Amino acid sequence: MISKRFVVKRLLLLVPVLFGVATFVFAILHLAPGDPARVIAGQRASEQFVQQVRTELGLNDPIWVQYGRFLLEAAQFDFGNSYQIQKGTPVKQVLRFKLPVTLEMALFGQFLGILFGIPIGLLGAVKQDALSDHVTRIGALTGISVPIYWSGPLLILLFAQILGWFPASGRIASEFSITPITGIITFDTLVQGNFAAFQSAAMHLFLPSVVIGIYSMALVSRMMRSSMLEVIRQDYMRTARAKGQGSRITVMKHGFQNALIPVVTVIGIQFGTLLGGAVLTETVFGIPGIGTLLVSAIQVGDYPVVQGTVLTFAFLFTLVNLLVDVTYSYLDPRIDQ
Amino acid sequence: MVSGDSTDPTVRERAARLGRALLLGGVLAALAVPLLVLSGETLVFASEKVFAVGALVFGFSILGWSGSVFAGKGIENFQRHIGGRSDWSEADSRQAMALLGSVGLGGMVGAMAATLVVGGLA
Repeated sequence: MISKRFVVKRLLLLVPVLFGVATFVFAILHLAPGDPARVIAGQRASEQFVQQVRTELGLNDPIWVQYGRFLLEAAQFDFGNSYQIQKGTPVKQVLRFKLPVTLEMALFGQFLGILFGIPIGLLGAVKQDALSDHVTRIGALTGISVPIYWSGPLLILLFAQILGWFPASGRIASEFSITPITGIITFDTLVQGNFAAFQSAAMHLFLPSVVIGIYSMALVSRMMRSSMLEVIRQDYMRTARAKGQGSRITVMKHGFQNALIPVVTVIGIQFGTLLGGAVLTETVFGIPGIGTLLVSAIQVGDYPVVQGTVLTFAFLFTLVNLLVDVTYSYLDPRIDQ
Repeated sequence: MVSGDSTDPTVRERAARLGRALLLGGVLAALAVPLLVLSGETLVFASEKVFAVGALVFGFSILGWSGSVFAGKGIENFQRHIGGRSDWSEADSRQAMALLGSVGLGGMVGAMAATLVVGGLA
C-alpha cells in the first residue's frame, strides 16, 4: 500500500523544481545575445517598427515585470504566442501537436529497451560467465558507447538503403491521410481501424525507436544483471532452493521483484535521457517532434517556444521520476517510511 | 555536518547567514548596474543582464535545493552502502543551496533597486 503522505510530499516537491527550471530558462534566454523583436520585425525593418514590436511584446517593460508575468503565465501553462516558428500561434497549441510525436518515439524506445533489456540481464545473471553472458555484456557495452548520431545513419544505411526493409524518414507513407486524435499516430490509426496506415506508421517508427532504445536496453540489461546477481546470493534464495524449489521458480518468484527495484530507477532516469536523445533522433530521421522544434526555436530566438518546450521537458521528467518513486514504494514498502 | 550535532547552527544563525548572503548579492548587483552604465552600456541592458545573472544563480540554487531534498537521503545511503568517506550530506547541500539562492535573490533585488536609483538620477 502506497502512503498518500509520500505521494503528496513528492508532488509538492515538483513545484520548486519547475519554478527553478522556469527561472533558469528565463535567465539564460535574457543573457543570450539577440533581440527577438528584431527577429520578428525582420533585419530590414526600421528602428521605429522594432520599438513598436518590443512594446507589443512587453519587452520594453522592466525585466522584473517580464519575469513576474512569465512566472504567472507559466503557472497557468500559458507561454504566449510563437514569435517566429508558427507566428502568432499559441505555444500551447504548437506543443500539443509536437509533443505526442516525441512521446510516441520515446515510449516505444523505452518499451524496446525494457522488452529486451530485462530478459537479457536475467539471462546474463542466471548463466553467469557462460558464452551468452559474454555476448550480452559486449552487446551492452557497445550499446552504451554508441552515440545516436552514429547509430542512426548506420541503421538507415543498412535497413533503409541497402536492405530496404524500413523507411528512412518521416512518420507515415504519403498516401495515407490520418485525422489526428491524440497525435500518437500508431494509436490514431488503430482507433480509426486503418490497419494499412498503422503498419506504415509502425514501420516508420521502428528505426528511430531502436536507435533511441539501444542505450536504454544496454543500461537496463547491465543493471538487471548486477542486481539479479546480488539477489541470487541472498540467504532466502538459498533457503528456497534448499527446500526443493526449482531454480526457475526461485528466480522468478523470489528474486525478480527484489532485483527490479534498482532497475526501475534506471528506467526512470533513462526516460529523461530518451527525451534528450529525441532531439538528435528526430534530426537524423526527419521527424517533426518537440526536439526539432526546440532546435529551430533556439536558432531563430523564439523565446516563448523555447521556454514552453524546456518547461514541458522538465515537467515530464519530474513526473516520470514521481512515477518511479511511487513504483519504488510499491515494490519495497519500506521506502515510503 | 551530522544532524543533531552540537555544532548545528541555530535558526537565528541560519537566518543571519542567509541575510548576509542576500546583502552580498544585493551589493554586488547594485555595484554592477552603475559600473556597466559607466562603461558605456544602456541602463536597460545593464539592468537586464545583472538581473538575469541573479536569476540564473537563484534558479540554479532552487534546482540544487530540490535535488538535494529529492535524492539527498538516497545519496547518503548509497555512500554508506559503498563505504565511501565523503562528508557530503543532504543537510549541508540544502544549506549551501539556500545560501547561493540568497545571493541570487539579493542580486535580483539589487539590480532592481539600482536600476530605479540610476534611472531616477539620469
